[in-house]
Amino acid sequence: MTTRRAFLASLAAATATPRLGWAAVGNPSYIAAAKRPDGSYVLAGFDTKGAGLFRLPLPARGHAGAAHPQRAEAIAFARRPGYYAVVIDAVSGKALHELTPPDGRQFNGHGFYIDGGATLLTVEQLAQGSDGLIGVWDVASGYTRIGEFATHGIGPHDVRLMPDGQTLVVANGGIQTDASDRTKLNIPDMRPSLVYLSLAGDLLEEVRLDDELHQNSIRHLALREDGLVGFAMQWEGEPGMAWPLLGLHRRGAAPVLAEAPLPDELAMKGYAGSIAFSADGSEVAITSPRGGRLNRFSSEGVFLGGQRRDDVCGLAAHPEGLVASDGFGGLIVVGPDGARPLALFDDLAWDNHIVAL
Amino acid sequence: MRHFLAAALLAASPALGGVTEALDAHILPGYAGFAEASAALAEAAGADCTAPALAAPYHAAFDAWMRVGDIRMGPSEHGALAIVFWPDARGFTQKTLQRLIAAQDPVIDDPAAFADVSIAGRGLFALDMLLFDTAFSGYAPQSYACRLAQRLTADLAAQAAALDAEWADSFAAVLRSAGAPDNATYLSEQEAVRALYTQILSSLEFTRDSRLGNPLGTFERPRPARAEARRSGRSLRNAVAATDAAVEFAEALADWELPATRAALDLVHEAADKIGDPAFADIDDLGERFKVEVLQQKIQGVETAIEEEIGLVLGLQPGFNSQDGD
Repeated sequence: MTTRRAFLASLAAATATPRLGWAAVGNPSYIAAAKRPDGSYVLAGFDTKGAGLFRLPLPARGHAGAAHPQRAEAIAFARRPGYYAVVIDAVSGKALHELTPPDGRQFNGHGFYIDGGATLLTVEQLAQGSDGLIGVWDVASGYTRIGEFATHGIGPHDVRLMPDGQTLVVANGGIQTDASDRTKLNIPDMRPSLVYLSLAGDLLEEVRLDDELHQNSIRHLALREDGLVGFAMQWEGEPGMAWPLLGLHRRGAAPVLAEAPLPDELAMKGYAGSIAFSADGSEVAITSPRGGRLNRFSSEGVFLGGQRRDDVCGLAAHPEGLVASDGFGGLIVVGPDGARPLALFDDLAWDNHIVAL
Repeated sequence: MRHFLAAALLAASPALGGVTEALDAHILPGYAGFAEASAALAEAAGADCTAPALAAPYHAAFDAWMRVGDIRMGPSEHGALAIVFWPDARGFTQKTLQRLIAAQDPVIDDPAAFADVSIAGRGLFALDMLLFDTAFSGYAPQSYACRLAQRLTADLAAQAAALDAEWADSFAAVLRSAGAPDNATYLSEQEAVRALYTQILSSLEFTRDSRLGNPLGTFERPRPARAEARRSGRSLRNAVAATDAAVEFAEALADWELPATRAALDLVHEAADKIGDPAFADIDDLGERFKVEVLQQKIQGVETAIEEEIGLVLGLQPGFNSQDGD
C-alpha cells in the first residue's frame, strides 16, 4: 500500500524531465478510481475494449479525476471533504504535485483542465457554511493557486466547461455540510441550483426547480456538444417519492425533467450517482448504485429503458453507446439494443466515476 | 463437523454456493405457490366478490407471496411493484382507488387496459384497502367496487402467473448461466451467488427498517398509520413471514447447515409472540414500542448470523458504491 509519506517522497523525487503524451500509456479512453482487495486505491486507465492499460497508486480513496488534455498526467481528487488532490505521471506512476486547498476551503471531488491544459479548475466549498467556490490553478508554474470565485450556491459538486469555451455550468448541490465531515446540516431548507458562470466568475444564469423539488440535490453534470446540459439529482427528502432524477437544460430555457414510469423511477431509490450522454448524443443515462439500476432517456427526456446491474455507478460515453462500471469490477456496454459485458476486473472495485479522455 | 468441512471446501473454491438449490428449493416453488393461491383468490371473487367472502383467500394469497415477496431481481424487479406497491409515501393507492370508483371507470372491464392502470391501484395493497378499509369495504354485491375486487384479483392472478412463467422459463436460466459470454447481468458465477445473497440481506433490512421502522417512526412521533397492510392486520405477520422466508432462502443457498441463523430465527419468533397488536396500532404505548424495537434487534441478529455463516464463508461483501455514494 502506498502511504502518504511515500507519496510525498515521490513528489520530491519528481524531476523536470519533459512529460510524455497519453500515447506513451496506450492511449487510454478512460480513467477511473478503484479499490484493490488489500484496501489500497488506484487510478486505472482502460480502453474502449475494456483492456486495462495502467494502474497508478493513490494515497487514499479518490472520487473523480481529470486527465490533462495533452500530457500523460492525471489528477485525482479526494472524496469530500477533500484536503488534497494528486497530479500523477501516468507513465511512471509518480506523484508530480500535491494540491491542497487554501485554508478554510475543501475540495468537493471534481475538477477539470481548461485552456488546453494550462489551467486547472477545482470545485470547492468553504468549510464553514459550505458556500461554493471554483479554485483556479496555474499548471505551468507547478499548480499554483492563482484565484477563486463564487459558485453562487451551497455545496457545489460538479462543474463543466460549456462548448463555447467561455462559460462554466455548476451543480450547486444545495447541501450544507459540517465543517469536518459529511454530516448534512440543512436538509429541511436546502435549495440546490444549476448556475452558469463566466470564467471571470460572473453569474450569467441561475436555474432552480419547483419548490416541491427543493430537496432534489443537483450533483452531477453531462454536456452535449450543442450545449445541452444534463443534470443528475439525489433526493434527500422522504423515501419513495419517485421524483425525477434527471434534468435537461438549455441556456435561457426552462429545465425539462425526465420522468421514468413509476416502477423505473422507484428502481433508482431516489439516487443518481453518475450521468453521461451516449457517444452520438442521442441518449442520456443515469446510474443508481443503491438501486442497481441504469435508466436511459432520449435527449428530449423520454424514457427509453432500464438496465439492471448491481452497484452500478460510473458512466461514460462509449462508441456503442455508454460504458458503466460497478463496485464488483465489472464494465458493461449499454447500447440501444441492450447490454453486453465488456470486462470484469476481479481485483478492482470501481469507484463512483469514469472520466472519459 | 459437516459445517466446517463445507466451509473449508467452499473457501477453496468460492462462489459455488447453491444458485441451483436456491432456485429449485425456494424461489421457483415460491412463485408457483403464489400463482396458485392468487388464482384461488380470483376464483373466489368470481363466486362472491364482497369483502368478507374474500378475506380468507386474500390472506392465503398474501402468505404465499411473502415466501418470495421481497425478491427484487430479474422479472421481480419490476413485477413486484404492481403486486406490492408499498411504502406509498404519496398516497397513490388511495387516490387511484378513489378515482376509479368515483368515475365508475370502465377500465375494470378490460383486462388489458387495466394492466395499464397505475401500479399503485393494483395488487395486494389495493385489495388490502378495498377489502379492509371501512371507507371502501362495505360495498354491495352488485356494486362497481365489487366488480373492481374481481378485476383486482384476476389481475393479480394474471401477474402471478406471468411472474411464475418469467422466472421458470427465462430468468432462472440467466442465473444458471452466470459467467457465460453473453450474460451481461452476471459476469461471473460468484456474481449470481452474491446477487441472491444480497436479496436475503435486503429483505431482512427492509423488514427491520420499513416494516417495523415505518410504524415506529421516531420516539417523539410514532407512525402507526404507516404499518404495512395494517388494514388487514397483517403487519406483524408479514414481518415474521418475511424473516422466515429469508432464512429458508439462506438455507437453500448454503448447502451446509446454519445453526446460528436458526437460533437467531427462534429469537425472532419469541419476540414476535410477545407483541400485542398485529397491526402495531398501539405502538405509541411505550411498552409496546419497546417490544417492536426488540423484534427489530432480533431480526438484526438473523442478518448478523447470515453474514457470518454465509457471507464470510463465501467472501461476499456489499457493493462499494451503494454503501457510500456522493
